[in-house]
Formats: sequence, structure tokens, C-alpha cells
Amino acid sequence: MSNNSEISIKVKNLSKSFDFQEDSISSIKEGLYNIFKRKNNRQLKALNNINFEIKKGEFLGIVGRNGSGKSTLLKLLIGAFRPDKGSIININGKILRLALGMGFDGNLSARDNIYINGSVLGLSFKYIGEIFDQIIEFSELHDFIDVPVKHFSSGMKSRLTFSIAMYANADIFLIDEFFGGVGDESFKKKSEDFFKDNFLTGKTIIHVSHSLSNLLKFSDRILYLHKGEMMALGKPEEVIELYKESFKEEFREKQKKV
Amino acid sequence: MIKELIGQIYLDKTSGNNRLERIWKLAQIDFKKRYYNDKLGVLWALLNPLLQVSIYYFVFKMVMQRGEDDFALFLFVGLVIWTTFMMGTKQGINIFKLKRYLIENIQFNKIDLFLSHILSVFMGFCFNLGAYFAIAVIYGIKFDFLYMLMTLILIILIIFVNILGVCLILSTFSIFLKDIDHIWDFTLLCGFWTAGIFFPIEKIIEKFPVIIYLNPMLGLIDNARRVLMYKTPIDWGIMSINLIQGIGFLALGLFVFYKYSGKAIEKL
Repeated sequence: MSNNSEISIKVKNLSKSFDFQEDSISSIKEGLYNIFKRKNNRQLKALNNINFEIKKGEFLGIVGRNGSGKSTLLKLLIGAFRPDKGSIININGKILRLALGMGFDGNLSARDNIYINGSVLGLSFKYIGEIFDQIIEFSELHDFIDVPVKHFSSGMKSRLTFSIAMYANADIFLIDEFFGGVGDESFKKKSEDFFKDNFLTGKTIIHVSHSLSNLLKFSDRILYLHKGEMMALGKPEEVIELYKESFKEEFREKQKKV
Repeated sequence: MIKELIGQIYLDKTSGNNRLERIWKLAQIDFKKRYYNDKLGVLWALLNPLLQVSIYYFVFKMVMQRGEDDFALFLFVGLVIWTTFMMGTKQGINIFKLKRYLIENIQFNKIDLFLSHILSVFMGFCFNLGAYFAIAVIYGIKFDFLYMLMTLILIILIIFVNILGVCLILSTFSIFLKDIDHIWDFTLLCGFWTAGIFFPIEKIIEKFPVIIYLNPMLGLIDNARRVLMYKTPIDWGIMSINLIQGIGFLALGLFVFYKYSGKAIEKL
């Protein structure tokens, strides 16, 4: 890791608010009814003023409770959502989000899905053709190459996802509750080893997880989100301690009320 | 808006230079999927217009005793263009929903989804057109290839610009207004009977000249027939109206897309 100082992701003043109407209009009829009514717009601030920089090759864990804005953050980074005005997101490299059943079209075969995913990741068909056998080999799906993915079990899907991801040369991976090992015990072992040996080197990873022990094991830093606010960013042990503390506090308060 | 356009282009630079290849692959797969589970597969792209022509031929020519000798060809040109427009826009409405799996996991320019959709519709259109040429040869029609090539390309271009514009508008709004599906179905039905598929354009224009402005397919089908059947010169007046319509739809479509598609995706 020679270019250790290179910045991979830079996020500045990142905010995201969602507009929603109390009774959201979804048909023309309702729209006509509501034309004369005063609109009841409400804003929900999903993320508020998030700032961080991630160096190339860094592993950033993200913790936070449900609804704290973790998934919104990932969707903003991938470009599915547009941030509020004034927000800056600089991304240096190809980016991919890993989730179960990532980018798969259920009606297409594993072969087509490998090509389409690889292609969208920036691989040429020639290169995909070269690594195709390796992907199939790794995923142990030899007998199912031309079976539509909708017939796959979730374990098979995650194996395929994992295998494509391993060979895809994205620079930045956003991982959503998808740790090292997937599938049955033997595949889990294999994929975890692969994850440690090949995957972690040189790649920037943002991992959202509720598995604190895993985050402690892999993360260089951890970001703690709470209700869209950045609570802490720093050493894994310290941040996780803080995160755990918040649960304890809540627990104490609840007990007081009782 | 211009800033966002530039942003989109910038985004492409970072996501690799295989964009065309990717659009092509997505189109290919869309096309394949349309005929995926069928035994006859891609043959349906040839059979579909033939079967449709036979039904309408039976009704109009045999039962109602209407139409000229070359009524089958007349129907064929009209139906091929109309079905292309209909299928293209109907499937286009759901682009965001169908391609959600890509939007949420991978960073890429969303307009590629539309370009690949148009390309896959175009592939089907080429099959239909091939079927037409096969039948036209049997009917003994001779083609002036150079003239045909130049004019036909322009007509096809306008047809697809129209489809792209409509798709951009409808797919974005369909997420906010779920009954756009039904409204569009009805609009298509109106279009079907006013596109001059069964009657010559003059019969429609005589009484309702305004339809030429409302239904772009009317003029396009007529001009396509001039090129593909009659070998008469193109009506450039109508053609330019259609061209302006097409550009208008596309401009509106792009505006809607860049302004609202971001919000639409959030609501998926």
C-alpha cells in the first residue's frame, strides 16, 4: 500500500432530506382532490451534515440503530439518491454495493447476470470471459450456469454475488450486512479466507453491520450514526464502546420509568 | 440542470469506458428476455406482425370488403410501426421498477437504461421490417435502395426519438402517479384508431386535420408507406411536423428526467 495517503471518498456537509406529504398522492383522482387543498409537506432529515474522508485501502465500519441513516448514506454514495444542495461527495474510483442478490435479474441465467454485473462494474466482455470459469469455480455453481437466478436458493445467490465481487475490480465496496463468510460452512471458510487474503488489500471498504465483533476485527475506523447525526468517528474500540453505552443508557431510562 | 448533465458525464468517466458495450449488453438481454420462455423464441418477432395482419386483413378485406389490392402490405407497414411504438412505450413506463436492482447497487448513468431499452425495441423492429421485406418481395415490389435508405433512416429515427421522449416522461411520472399505466393504455387505444393503420391518411386529415399534430404516428406511418410501398415522394411538410414533435418530446423527456428522476428513484 504505497499510496496510503490517497483519498478514496470525501464527504463534506452531506445532508439528505426527504419530502413527503402526509397523504402522499399516488393517483390522478387524489391529485385532483388535493389541488385546492393546502399541501401538507413535511421534511424528514435522514442525514445531517456528515463529514468524513476515507483513505484508499481503508476499512470503515458504520454502526447505528435502525433508521439512523446508514442505508441512506450508502445509497447516496452509490448515486441512487441525490444529496441536498451544498453537499459534496467526491468518489475516486469504481464503486459497488454488495448486498444479497445484488444486481441480479431473477429471470436471467447466472451466466447473463455475471456478464451484466461485470459489465456494469467496468469490466470488458473479453475480461469477463477470461475470469468466467474462475467465478463459476469459486461459487461452486457448475451445474447451474444457465439456470435462471430466481430458482437459486439465497445461499446460492450470495455465493454468486460474493464470487463476482471477488473478481470485479471495483476500488470501493459498500457492504450491507454481508460479512466475509456466506453460504454453508465449507464455503464460509473459503470465502472468509479469500476475503482476508485478497479482498482487503488495497480496496476501500465501507461496511454497515450490526455484528460488532466482526467490525472490531476488520475495521480501521468506525463511524457511528444516530438519527442522521454523526455521533463519533474514530478508533473501533472507542466508538463501539460509545455505541454500546447508548443502549445501556436507554435501558436505564426505561427502567427508571417503570 | 446543465450542471447535472455535466455531472452525469463526469460520472461516466470514473465508471469506465465500456459504456457502449454495457448498453449493448443490456439491450441484448432485454431482447432475449422478451422471448425467453417461448418455444419459438425470436421467431415470434417475425410471427407476431404476420398474425396481426391476418386478423385485420380478414376483418377489413374479407368481411367488410374494404381496402385496395395491396391491403395486406398497407396493414403490415402500419401495424409494424404502431406495435413498435406501443410496445416501446408500454414497456418503457416500468423501466425504473424493472431496473431497480441495478440502480440501487451500482453506480452508472441512469439514462443508459433508456438507451438500451430503445436499442432492444429497435432490434425487434428490425426483425419486423425483415418480415415486411420478405413479403414485399413476394408481392413483387421493387425497391429503389438509395432513396429508400436515406428516407427510411430518417423516418425510423423520428419514430425512435418519439419513443425515447415518451418513455422518459412516462417512466419518471409513473412513480408519482400510479394510474399513468391506465391512462396510457387508453391513450394508446385512441392512437391506434387514429394512426391511419386501416385507412389512408387523407380520410382522417379531411375531417380532423388536427390529428396530424396529436398523433405523430399518423404522419410517420403514411410517409413510411410512401417509401416502402408506393415509391412516391415523401410529404416533407408532415415529416417536418413529426420531426419537431419528436424533438419536442425528447426535450421535454430529458427535462423531466433530469429534473425529477432523482426524486422518482427515492420513491421506488
